[in-house]
Amino acid sequence: MKKRLFLMLVAATAAFASVCAQSRSAIRLNEVMVENTPEGIADEYGAHRAWIEIFNANFAPIEISSIYITNDSTRPTLYPVPLGDVHTRIPKRQHVLFFADGEPNKGTFHTSFTLTPGQDNWIGIYDADGRTLIDEVVVPASLTAGQSWARQADGYGDWALRTGGEEDYITPSSANVIRDTNEKIQDFAERDANGWGMTVMAMCIVFSALLVLCLCFYAISKIGSLITRANKARTQSSGEHAVTARDVEHDTGEEIAAIVMALHEHLDAHDRENTILTINKVKRAYSPWSSKIYGLREIPARPTHH
Amino acid sequence: MDFGDFLLKNLRQFWELTGFANAEWGNLVMLLVGLFFIWLAIKKNFEPMLLVPIGFGILIGNIPFNTSAGLEVGIYEQGSVLNILYNGVSAGWYPPLIFLGIGAMTDFSALIANPKLMLIGAAAQFGIFGAYMVALAIGFAPDQAGAIAIIGGADGPTAIFLSSKLAPNLMGAIAVSAYSYMALVPVIQPPLMRLFTTKKERLIKMKPARAVSQNEKIIFPIVGMLLTCFVVPSGLPLLGMLFFGNLLRECGVCSRLAKTASNALTDIVTILLGLTVGASTQASQFLTPQTIFIFFLGFMAFIIASSSGVFFVKLFNLVLPKEKKINPLIGNAGVSAVPMSARISNNLGLEYDPGNYLLMHAMGPNVAGVIGSAVAAGVLLGFLA
Repeated sequence: MKKRLFLMLVAATAAFASVCAQSRSAIRLNEVMVENTPEGIADEYGAHRAWIEIFNANFAPIEISSIYITNDSTRPTLYPVPLGDVHTRIPKRQHVLFFADGEPNKGTFHTSFTLTPGQDNWIGIYDADGRTLIDEVVVPASLTAGQSWARQADGYGDWALRTGGEEDYITPSSANVIRDTNEKIQDFAERDANGWGMTVMAMCIVFSALLVLCLCFYAISKIGSLITRANKARTQSSGEHAVTARDVEHDTGEEIAAIVMALHEHLDAHDRENTILTINKVKRAYSPWSSKIYGLREIPARPTHH
Repeated sequence: MDFGDFLLKNLRQFWELTGFANAEWGNLVMLLVGLFFIWLAIKKNFEPMLLVPIGFGILIGNIPFNTSAGLEVGIYEQGSVLNILYNGVSAGWYPPLIFLGIGAMTDFSALIANPKLMLIGAAAQFGIFGAYMVALAIGFAPDQAGAIAIIGGADGPTAIFLSSKLAPNLMGAIAVSAYSYMALVPVIQPPLMRLFTTKKERLIKMKPARAVSQNEKIIFPIVGMLLTCFVVPSGLPLLGMLFFGNLLRECGVCSRLAKTASNALTDIVTILLGLTVGASTQASQFLTPQTIFIFFLGFMAFIIASSSGVFFVKLFNLVLPKEKKINPLIGNAGVSAVPMSARISNNLGLEYDPGNYLLMHAMGPNVAGVIGSAVAAGVLLGFLA
């Protein structure tokens, strides 16, 4: 019973850990436009409405159906993201766009509330329980038409005004910082063109990892031998006869094999060493059906006529 | 259109689908390469477990067909059977499974008994970074150079794992190069070992390793995993599985799991990995000037790795007391071609002194090389991914 309870506890812990790992805490409000313009992005009906961009900061997909988006902190469950739409599963490090047009009947990505230009707009995302606030932002009243309020980088960093210019472009449904190269690789290519830096750093890390492991095992073997010595001393002081190498020195291979076979016979036990003596019964059952003698036929001898 | 025209039209269409109509010289060259691999494996006994699946995979991958016909048979066509099997390579989950098997097969006793041998495994990783520098000099980008350089680790699964992350387009050439040189370890290493050691050094007799307790064997994978993965979390898939496999082996209470991991599971994954890696070497992807450079760099990496292991032992001996000196013939075993390079150390040792068995001593750096190359892969992944 105790064992079963323990197993259930372990399973429950694992399940809880798994759920936590997949939690929706990585959902982020990423960019907001309160007043869209005809030059801005249009919804599937061609209308240019206010929009809210949500970003999955995780490196795994997140299902956002049943979370709540709201612009009223006193009504956290204002717009529940509907169930049953495949597009509510945001792939890793990707975005979805909600149009804040107050027309939820237009589709999953149309909220039941609108944003009001000229005043501060608070926007919040609540988890499915309607109580846990996942992320929030206050979009300042100073935003004019065609401007957005966005994080400096996807999923983190401070919020800043974007006017749509060369430097601060507006990026609905795409990364807030558009990169055309891998910065790390670019950095290595420029600063470590011959690879010495990488070699020195990497070899230091490889050596340190294995050196630490090496020192650790020196320490463990020392501790092990100290414990063995202490156990031996305790056994000797208690008057018990410790089995020493000298005791088994005279045992021949046959004697050892006999002891092992006796253990196998009577205790059905073997030690945990890799070499396991396996004793299988060898069957040599005789049957005339398999006997070669009966399988062979005499070669008929041609009668000789004289 | 009469019936004769109808038949002719269909036969013509069928002909256009056949391999004969779509064959290019590249396919034929690759078919010959595949046959050569199979010959090497069967006739020369060079790593047959790897070269037979890879060789046959090359044959499968280079059967010419009309790619625009939508047959969904090619390895790069989404949804094809080969493509589904290839996912284990492209997404990088075959190599950790192989590492699980390696862990379950490997006895780390030699290393635990003489932990300083771990440093030889670390030194041999210089082959990776030496090749990285040469690759940069040739003109490869840092991520490609890192993926190619890992060939110097002499570890096929690690090479596949890293190249699938850093340079997926070069993975076929890198994998074939890594496995080819692993098969050629008995040809590449002995001349270097002879060249860089004196007769006196080759005759060094090392003290037999002490017996390692069961507890130490159990502690090793746990501490090993924690320490190495804390230093290089990016190596977690490889190191985690390697040490997990070893814990299954040594704990003494999971013998069924250890047996499955080291036998059935490893065999299955080896078959799938070898076959799909071979099939990924389609002529259009494989027969490029880059492949020649990759093979050249792989050769360089093996030479640097083997030599640096030997040189490190020679250097190490300068500070070691006389009775603890290490035979530099085990330096080559720092590359992780297990147990081939350890066997070479032993054979060469016996050649110079018929009573000098170096196998168990060489197994120490050999398995340290497995850990070292996984750590090195983690480092490259951390810096360049």
